[in-house]
Amino acid sequence: MRLTKVLVANRGEIAVRVIRACRDVGLRSVAVYSEADRDALHVRLADEAYPIGPAPATQSYLRGDKLIAVARGAGCDAVHPGYGFLSENAGFAEAVAAAGLVFVGPPAAVQRRLGDKIAARRLARDAGVPVVGGTFEPVADLDAARGAAEQIGYPLILKPAGGGGGKGMRIVATAAGLADAWRGATGEAQSALGAPAAFVVEHFVGAARHVEVQFVADDHGAVVPLGERDCSIQRRHQKLIEETPGPSVDETLREGLFDAAVRVARAAGYRNAGTAEFLVAPDGSFTFLEVNTRLQVEHPITELVTGIDLVQLQLRLAAGEPLPFARADVRAHGAAIECRLTAEDPFAGFLPAAGTITVVREASGPGVRLDGALVPGMVVASEYDPLLAKLACWGVDRPAALARMRRALGEMVISGIPTTLPFHRATLGEPDFVAGRYDTGYITAHWPRETVLGEEAAVAAAIVAVLVSRSAASGAPSTTDPAATDPAVPGAWARAGRHEGLR
Amino acid sequence: MRYEVVLGERTMIVELEALGGLLTVDGRAVAVDIREIRAERAWHVLIDGSAHDVTVLSPPRQDPLRLQVGGVEVRGRVSDARTVSARLTAKASGAHTRVELRAPMPGLLKALHVREGDVVDEGTGMATLEAMKMENELRSPARARVVRIAVRAGDKVEGGALLVVLGPIGTAVEPEVGQE
Repeated sequence: MRLTKVLVANRGEIAVRVIRACRDVGLRSVAVYSEADRDALHVRLADEAYPIGPAPATQSYLRGDKLIAVARGAGCDAVHPGYGFLSENAGFAEAVAAAGLVFVGPPAAVQRRLGDKIAARRLARDAGVPVVGGTFEPVADLDAARGAAEQIGYPLILKPAGGGGGKGMRIVATAAGLADAWRGATGEAQSALGAPAAFVVEHFVGAARHVEVQFVADDHGAVVPLGERDCSIQRRHQKLIEETPGPSVDETLREGLFDAAVRVARAAGYRNAGTAEFLVAPDGSFTFLEVNTRLQVEHPITELVTGIDLVQLQLRLAAGEPLPFARADVRAHGAAIECRLTAEDPFAGFLPAAGTITVVREASGPGVRLDGALVPGMVVASEYDPLLAKLACWGVDRPAALARMRRALGEMVISGIPTTLPFHRATLGEPDFVAGRYDTGYITAHWPRETVLGEEAAVAAAIVAVLVSRSAASGAPSTTDPAATDPAVPGAWARAGRHEGLR
Repeated sequence: MRYEVVLGERTMIVELEALGGLLTVDGRAVAVDIREIRAERAWHVLIDGSAHDVTVLSPPRQDPLRLQVGGVEVRGRVSDARTVSARLTAKASGAHTRVELRAPMPGLLKALHVREGDVVDEGTGMATLEAMKMENELRSPARARVVRIAVRAGDKVEGGALLVVLGPIGTAVEPEVGQE
C-alpha cells in the first residue's frame, strides 16, 4: 500500500527526526503535543498538530486511545512511535493495526516474542545463538532467585523480564547482597511498570563491551544487518556515547554478531528495523542480551557510515516494500560517533536537571550532524526524558571522527541548565577512550575527570567572570559599551593594556 | 578595584583601574579587546590578538558562575563584588540608606568584629568569612551604624546569606524578625 500521512506518536528530537523523514519522502506528518509542549519544535515542524492532554506522559504520550483517535481524525494511514513511550508496547501496535492503520515497526506478535526477556532468551537459545548464563523461567520471589543464583554463580544481575531502560536492574556481587538487591529491584520495577514484575537472573559479565547490531527486515523474508555500534559508555545502564565501527570488533567478530542477529530476527519473524544487543567479553566471545524492537536513539551513526536513511527505510518497509539492497550491497564508509546531550549534571552524579534553556549555539560544519529539538527559551520539563539532542560526527576513520567530535563539542553551547557536554569534552580527550580501550565500567573508572584550562583561556575567563559579576551586583544590564555605565571600562583597559603590551 | 576570581582549583587576582588604568591579572598587565555578544550571553576576548570565546552558561546572579571557554566548562566565583557594589550604593546615596551585607559565597563565618549598635567607619573589618580556602574580610562600605547582625561566629553560611545590616548613624538597632 501507499502511505500518505503519518502520525508521529512522540515528542522532542525523535519526533523531529521522524517528521524530517516524512518530509524527505513526501509524506504529510501529524504531531501530537501535551499541554507542556505547545511551543515545542516538533509541533512547529509538522504539517498538522493536535493536543492530547496534560503534561504527564501517562495522560498524553502514553495514551494509545487518544493517539489513535487523533490519527483517525486527521486521516493518517500510519503511526510512527519513535522510541520510548509506546514504541515497544505490543498492545499499542495491536490497537493501531486494529484501527486500520499501519504501525511503523514490528507487529505486536513479534514484539511479544522479543519484548519479554525470558521469551527472547529462549528464542535466541533455540536459534543457536549464545546466551549469557541465567534463568529461562520467570523468577518471581527471593527463594527462587536464591536457587537460581546458586546455579549461576556470582556476580549476577537481576533484570525485570518486561522492563527496559535500566529500571529495576541490580548487580549483585555476593550471596550476602541478594536479599537487599531483590527488594530494591522489585520495588523499582513495580513503581516503573505499575505491577509486580517477573525477573531474569543472569550471570554478570564484568569488563564487557556492549555491542549491538542494527538490522532491517522486510515483509518478504529478507533480513539484512547494517552494522554494529559499540555502546559501552554507559551510566546506570543508559548509553551516553556510541560509535561505529566498534573499536574492538574485528571482521570475524563482526560476521559472528551479524549472523547471530539475523538468526534471532528470522526466528522471531521480524519486520522493519530492529537492534540485537550483545555483550562482548575481553576474549572476543559474545552472548545475546535482547532485541530492541524499535528505532534506536543512536541510529544516526549507522546512517552516517552506510548512507541509509533508517527512518525513510522504516516507512518504506511498513508500506510493504521489499528491502532495496542485499547484505552484500551494504558498505560502511569511515567511522561515526554520537554523544548524547542530556539535561543531566555530570558534576552531580548525572542528576537530571530541569529549567529553561537560555542560549543554544549548535555545532555544524563538515561531518557534523545534530539531531535535536532545541529552542532558546524552551523549558526542560522533569516529566520527560532528559535527552536534549544528539551530536553525531563522521570521519574517514576513527581518529578523524573523534577530531570532528572534539571540534563540534567545542562549538556547541547550551546554557541555562547543566548538560552532559563537559563529560563528553573530557571523555573525547581521555587517552583510554581515544585508544578505544573501554568497557561498560568506563564511566565509573574515569569520571569525574579534571579538564585543564589553558593559561590564556583562564585569564579570559577570569576577566569575563569579573565583568559578569559586576553587572550582576550593580543590577544594571551589561552593555556592549560599559563606558556608558562605568568609568572602569574594557575600552580603557584595552587601550592602556595594549600600550603596555607594546612597550 | 581588586577582585579575587576562583576558577575551578585556581585563584586569580584581577585588578581594574590599578597601575593607572591598567587591567592586570595576577599583577601582569593584559592587553585585552572585549566584545559582548549579548544575544548569546557570550564575550569574545582578544588577548594580544589570540581569541577566546567565553560563554556564560549559568542563569544571571547564580553562584557559582558557569563559564564555557575553549571547549572547557569552568565554575567561577568572584569575591568582593557584592561588597564593592554595597560601597558604591552607600556612597551614591550619601550613606543614608539601609545596606545589607550578604555573603559573596558560601563559607564559614570565622569571626565577627563588631556588635549591634556599633558605629563603623568606611573600611572597618566587620567579619571574616572563610571560603574556598581563603579568608575574606568583609568591610564596611561607609561610615554607618551596625543595626543588625544576622549570624554568629562559627556559622556556616550560604552564598547570598544576610550577614550584617548597616544603617545611617541615627538609626536604631533592628528588632529580631525571626529566621530569614
